[in-house]
Amino acid sequence: MKNTTSLQKNLSVGLTLAVALLWTAAFTGAALVAQQSLNAIFDNTLRETAQRVMPLAAVDILNRANGASVQSIMSLDLQDEHLSYLVRNHSGRILIKSHNADLSIFKQPKQLGFSTSTTHRFYTAPAVQQTLFIEVAESLVHRHQVIMHTAMALLWPLLLLIPFCFAGSWFFVRYCLRHVADYRHAIEFRGSGDLSPIDASKLPTEVKTIADAVNHMLARLRRALELERNFTANSAHELRTPIATALAQIQRLQQQVSDKAIKTDIDKVEQSLRGLANLSEKLMQLAKAESGSLLSAHAHNLVSLLVFIVDEYRRLFSQRIISLAVPKTDVFMSSIDADAFAILLRNLIDNALKHGNKNQPIHISLSDDGVLSVINGCALMTPEQLTKIRQRFYRINPSTPGSGLGLAIAEILVRDIGAHMTLLSPATGRKDGFEARVEL
Amino acid sequence: MRILLLEDTTGLAEVIRDQLTDAGHAVDWVQTIAHAKSSLLTTHYDLILLDLMLPDGNGIDLLKQRRQTGDKTPVIILTARDQISDRIDGLNAGADDYLVKPFDLSELSARMSAVTRRYAGNPNPLLTIGELSINLNERLISRNGTAINLTAKEWALLEAFIQRPGTLLSKTQLEDHLYAFGAEIESNTIEVYISRLRKKLGKEQLQTVRGMGYRMATT
Repeated sequence: MKNTTSLQKNLSVGLTLAVALLWTAAFTGAALVAQQSLNAIFDNTLRETAQRVMPLAAVDILNRANGASVQSIMSLDLQDEHLSYLVRNHSGRILIKSHNADLSIFKQPKQLGFSTSTTHRFYTAPAVQQTLFIEVAESLVHRHQVIMHTAMALLWPLLLLIPFCFAGSWFFVRYCLRHVADYRHAIEFRGSGDLSPIDASKLPTEVKTIADAVNHMLARLRRALELERNFTANSAHELRTPIATALAQIQRLQQQVSDKAIKTDIDKVEQSLRGLANLSEKLMQLAKAESGSLLSAHAHNLVSLLVFIVDEYRRLFSQRIISLAVPKTDVFMSSIDADAFAILLRNLIDNALKHGNKNQPIHISLSDDGVLSVINGCALMTPEQLTKIRQRFYRINPSTPGSGLGLAIAEILVRDIGAHMTLLSPATGRKDGFEARVEL
Repeated sequence: MRILLLEDTTGLAEVIRDQLTDAGHAVDWVQTIAHAKSSLLTTHYDLILLDLMLPDGNGIDLLKQRRQTGDKTPVIILTARDQISDRIDGLNAGADDYLVKPFDLSELSARMSAVTRRYAGNPNPLLTIGELSINLNERLISRNGTAINLTAKEWALLEAFIQRPGTLLSKTQLEDHLYAFGAEIESNTIEVYISRLRKKLGKEQLQTVRGMGYRMATT
């Protein structure tokens, strides 16, 4: 199975991913800058603390008696404190320490200035001509917590914005591709026989070139099919004229002959010629139907065509009753080619005339919403028969006149104009009969 | 009726000409538009049977030209082109009917009668003139219920009067109506046919206007 990709989906996901990656890079950069700034602030705090505590500690130490024991400074407010300090003399003996100072982290006298252990950040400063040294320590865990909080504060809004970014990208891409979508729908919903140009005037430049190429190709195809149709029409002319000549000559001969046996033979020849004429007619229609190009570039009123053709049948088959119902407005515009519609309608009416009960009327109607219906009286048909009569050369009763091509031609025409044909028995609103319904 | 048959297929044209001649009509057969134009310049026709695809052009063009000049002669198109667009084009160009080949000769006769009746202003094929009852479709005529047999030429002469009810028709007009180009006509042929018709239909039906022509009673 062939996988198809959606340009809208790819662009939306791609744009969102690109934005997310850029945000991630920007976030990482911001987090690193924040970390450096916070570390500088914390270091500054350490230094400030040392510089403020040291004068007080020095006065306290100098006022003490020699050999006094280590003094622990209590906190006025018991709380979770992140800084601890101690003061040593030049021999490394601890003279003063904060109440929360963990001596295990102050193992050795530190070098002057800043230093870092695995768990703490230290600042060591000398005083009184380097006879006293103060060491202030701060837990690295605290620093990391602060940095993480800051990073999270930056990250959460970005994470929340990603779905909005995706939705925004989706709608923006959809908006930008709306004319491409219209173009796609125009191609999707046209029948295979519609070779009219596709409107590409609103397409973006990148796609318009492709659409123009498609229209050029359609134009060439139309011309080729037109030539083929002309050839078919000319062939029909070349074939019909000799048949017409032969038929006319046979009819003249029939008038001049009085012998019954010869008259009977001439009748048979005439019937054969009529059969040949009918078959050639159907084959020409089949060729036209299969040649495609069954939709015209401009819409026209099918009601006037319908009335014209039905009037012709009423005149030709004056002994049959043919009723016709058309929309009240007398208008149903369609881009179905007039000749294709005429062939379709004639085949449906011919079918009704040939296979319908001769003493029952034929009802033809075209509804406001474009449903063409041809109903004739006949015995109820089986579902199997209804399926088979769509096939070429199939006839339920081989003794009835006809080529078995009428409904097959109608089927091809209906398919190529993008319509749908339903064959029903019983006919709508009846207990018997046959109905051909075409949703145009 | 005097008919112009414009058909380039010899076999078909000959059959149509023979059939129509046997029915009492005068048929001038031409195969090109140029010849048709020449004939139309010199002769008044009651009907034109027109093929479309001709060696020197399209019959539709000739029809359009005739209609543009105000000519109202009835025209039936005989063609192998059966597309609905062709038919509509033909009728829009001014044709009175359109017959697609192959067709029955009887169908052609019926269409010709219908068109000429419409042209005469009376599309009804059943006429009653005085004691006469006429069925133009079936070519049946009776007088006070008694059937009358008419030959093809007598029918053609009767149709000439019926097409122009109450109109005075000269001997020349009647000759044109009954005989095609090149036909050998005796000087008293029309008088002979008029005499025969009077015997069969009744003297009062056909009046002679001395030195001018003949007129059929309308009631």
